[in-house]
Amino acid sequence: MSVSSEEVLRIAQLAELHVDEESLPELVAQMSRILDYVAQLRAVGPAEHVKPFIPGPDTIRFRPDEVNPWPLAFGPDKMAPAFKGGFFLVPRLGAFGDEGEAGEEA
Amino acid sequence: MSDAVAGARSAADRISKLRRLNAVLTKQTELRKALVAQADAARPTGVLYGMPVAVKANICTLEFQTSCGSRILEDYRSPYDATAVARLKEAGALIAGATNCDEFAMGSSTEHSAFGRTIHPIDKTRVPGGSSGGSAALVAAGAVPAALGSETGGSVRQPASFCGVVGIKPTYGRVSRYGLVAFGSSLDQIGVFGRSVHDAARVLSVISGRDPRDNTCEDRDPLRLPTVPENLDGFVIGVPKEYFPPDLDPGVRRACDRAIRILRELGAAVREVSLPHTPYAVPTYYIIAPAEASSNLARFDGVRYGVRAEGPLPDVRALYRETRGAGFGAEVRRRILIGTYVLSSGYYDAYYRKAQQVRALIAQDFRNVFDRGVDLLFTPTTPTPAFKAGAKLADPVQMYLSDIFVCTANLAGLPALSLPIGRVKGLPIGGQLMGPHFLEDEMLEAAYALERAVPATEEA
Amino acid sequence: MTASPSGWETVIGLETHVQLSTRTKMFCGCSAAFGDPPNTNVCPVCLGLPGALPVPNEQALKLALRGALALQCTVHARSVFARKNYFYPDLPKGYQISQFEEPLATGGTLGFFSPERGFVMASIVRLHVEEDAGKSLHDRYPRTTAVDLNRSGVPLVEIVTGPDFRSPGEARAYLLELKHLLEYARISDCDLEKGSLRVDANVSVRRTAGDPLGTKTEVKNINSFAFVEKALGLERDRQIAELEGGRPIVQATMLYDSKANAVRHQRTKEHSHDYRYFPDPDLPPLVLPAEWIDEQRATLPELPAAKRERFVAQYGLPRQDAAVLTHTRAVADYYEGVVHAGADPKPAANWVMGEALADAKDHHDTLRVPAATLAELIALVKGGTLSHQAAKKVFGEIAAKGGDPRVIAEALGLIQVADAGALSAWVDQALAASPAEVSRYRAGETKLLAFFVGQVMKASRGKADPKLIPAVLQEKLSR
Repeated sequence: MSVSSEEVLRIAQLAELHVDEESLPELVAQMSRILDYVAQLRAVGPAEHVKPFIPGPDTIRFRPDEVNPWPLAFGPDKMAPAFKGGFFLVPRLGAFGDEGEAGEEA
Repeated sequence: MSDAVAGARSAADRISKLRRLNAVLTKQTELRKALVAQADAARPTGVLYGMPVAVKANICTLEFQTSCGSRILEDYRSPYDATAVARLKEAGALIAGATNCDEFAMGSSTEHSAFGRTIHPIDKTRVPGGSSGGSAALVAAGAVPAALGSETGGSVRQPASFCGVVGIKPTYGRVSRYGLVAFGSSLDQIGVFGRSVHDAARVLSVISGRDPRDNTCEDRDPLRLPTVPENLDGFVIGVPKEYFPPDLDPGVRRACDRAIRILRELGAAVREVSLPHTPYAVPTYYIIAPAEASSNLARFDGVRYGVRAEGPLPDVRALYRETRGAGFGAEVRRRILIGTYVLSSGYYDAYYRKAQQVRALIAQDFRNVFDRGVDLLFTPTTPTPAFKAGAKLADPVQMYLSDIFVCTANLAGLPALSLPIGRVKGLPIGGQLMGPHFLEDEMLEAAYALERAVPATEEA
Repeated sequence: MTASPSGWETVIGLETHVQLSTRTKMFCGCSAAFGDPPNTNVCPVCLGLPGALPVPNEQALKLALRGALALQCTVHARSVFARKNYFYPDLPKGYQISQFEEPLATGGTLGFFSPERGFVMASIVRLHVEEDAGKSLHDRYPRTTAVDLNRSGVPLVEIVTGPDFRSPGEARAYLLELKHLLEYARISDCDLEKGSLRVDANVSVRRTAGDPLGTKTEVKNINSFAFVEKALGLERDRQIAELEGGRPIVQATMLYDSKANAVRHQRTKEHSHDYRYFPDPDLPPLVLPAEWIDEQRATLPELPAAKRERFVAQYGLPRQDAAVLTHTRAVADYYEGVVHAGADPKPAANWVMGEALADAKDHHDTLRVPAATLAELIALVKGGTLSHQAAKKVFGEIAAKGGDPRVIAEALGLIQVADAGALSAWVDQALAASPAEVSRYRAGETKLLAFFVGQVMKASRGKADPKLIPAVLQEKLSR
């Protein structure tokens, strides 16, 4: 097995995906199978002399700093599962603690 | 009543009669109403005036739900049109419903749709291919002349081969991705199905061209269609030996041999070439695509749109896990986990960085061949015709291997096309053309010529 | 408060996030304005809708470039946007577009005056561009977090120093210098309270300078310059207390609670910090055109440190005064406006530092008296037409209502009188009113001259020119 149950659970937490106990063994088996399969790339020698491949344009094209939002046919209130007072609502953060990364308390 | 409205009603009738295929996710009554309303409003001067074009369910339209074949977006309505869809409308086309697909375009059979599989138009025990199976089946069954699909690892060409229609993947950056729900951003392109090369190419021309809303879309004019050539004199067509392994299905081999003979008869010079890193294409793809997908699908969290898990939830983390755990199917969950793994600390270099290096080698293989006087490559599109439903569900890797001939073009960003070249035991099989970046016109010329000459419905 | 307790050296590094002064967001054309009703400056891109794609803001990149040049960084003409992947309700895509392996700039410096060590050069390890997240309000509704995505996508630069600061006071001094610099270069308004400047600090302690760095903790939620010193001091003290108590420092994130004036642990996030950075496939490499680099270099204004030194040299001002006068670009330009309109540098400095700034403080930092007008006022004092006191009154009038200094002075009857006859009469009046003091003066108490000057001013109701009074007094008293 190239990946363990613990690792799969850890990865599932990073990806915020619930994995139930029952499906865990099969999932671990499948992921191991896939990871073993893709690991054959190890056989390919180093590629120092090859230009890194970037599909698409070579460089960024900029946008002028003018207020011009791409259109929305309807607003957040119409699409949100929970919306009140102009805000998206989610159950209050508990396990997280109070701080995000770039975000912060009001 | 205008021609367009009459045409809209007929299209609705035809699509309705094909309900059993489960190719279209949009409800019949809603689809009929929308088609007629669009026909009323369509611009008569548009080059595609009145043409019904179905759109894969992972491409945003204002008309229909953009479910991406997933429970997590089951009733999601996009508040904007994809650029490709807006251009179709500007050209007078009618958007003919949202077609079924593997969930979030992850799959090669449309069996991973949350809303049931799509049935092969000729053999109901078989799959139409995927992930754009619904669009392919609908065009093959004659309901619409053209449909949009999307490609990340061959998801237009492979079902085109299985269903016996034309499928075109443009050069990466030819068509705007604004409004295409992202799966593997460096691989994704909107592609086109058509009953003929011409139908597919016309639609491709309309949707292509620069878009300030997509920084990966090249600053180029829309594709100009070539004229149909009399012959292929002067064309040099390469046949890469890695795409003709000894164990290739004999029927597929016969069909390809016949097509190659026809290419010679048309005046092309055909020579064997080598793309040595081909065996690594599928594993490379199955690192890069899931990695990008794991990031692209993080936005589906139940906070701002889409489905949200029911019931009392202790906190927002529970909201994420319940929503995503229930909303995503097994294949999507697997790919998100694989993708998260290969990007994670300690594994990034061995997997993701390595895969990008191999990708560069694969792209280099093509450059080497095209730089040595080869204009186009010809290969089988798929190693076999359409397989039986359920045949490849037990082992995910078996399913991945059906992309073996098509995923290289996505990795290298090249334009590629599949057209029907024969039948194997009554089932369609496609031949693939691949060309250099932004030289779709040459690829289309060869396709036109081959299409005219090849006995596509004859057993090989 | 700022000096380290003996036996321990404090080591602090700072990460600042600075909002760039652009009209629109980093990757979409929505307004970046502060204070609009929630979720009104949104579009498919900054809402993270399926199918939306980022398109970079030209001006944001120019401002970031300007910042990098102002901080003496090595600018990398080619840099790469990368995705920083994590889940948070105000992060709509589930990732933040930032820069990781290939940032816009590295290797810069910023000098500042340490309260303890004199002049110090902080090292700017990197400067990169990224997008802001939205705002999460945890107390608006019970058991709920309310999310506003107006701020989602606003352009930021992140500026990271090395572990260069040896006290909370140094950290504060550096931040003030950084604020001045970025404000001078018109990159950001750097308002800690409004959130256009945000600070996270890394704090550790060690016994001596040669020792390896101690385990560091991160301190967040510092919302004012004063809180910078308080929060960092508290964390330093906490770490020292732990170590002196034999307990090791555990890597953690600490939040500053300004109400309690305490630092407390943020409840630890499981599996935090595996952000799985990878180059953003929606964005090609960022290549800054050479013309931009030349243009930004050429248009970089004189920066605070250089201006300070020039004021010292050119206007003969003490460094302290130069620092006050270059505190903001607006004040510096104002001061030079007054000097260029003809005022002498030193009185101009006193007036600007005194009356002008005091008035501005009460009026939203507006310098209400035009520079040329202030120069005129200063000239009237110099020429003896107005006493300093009178001029202050006139200043107040002009600040409130505008007008011409001489006209207002005349209207208020403040024009000083230098007329010899009038002066003589007032002196006689003053002397007549204080015979006892006159005798004492004549007996030798010459200090009483000042008293008489005051009496003459009283008699003249402030109109007498105080510079001329002593001579007249002495002449009459010596008779």
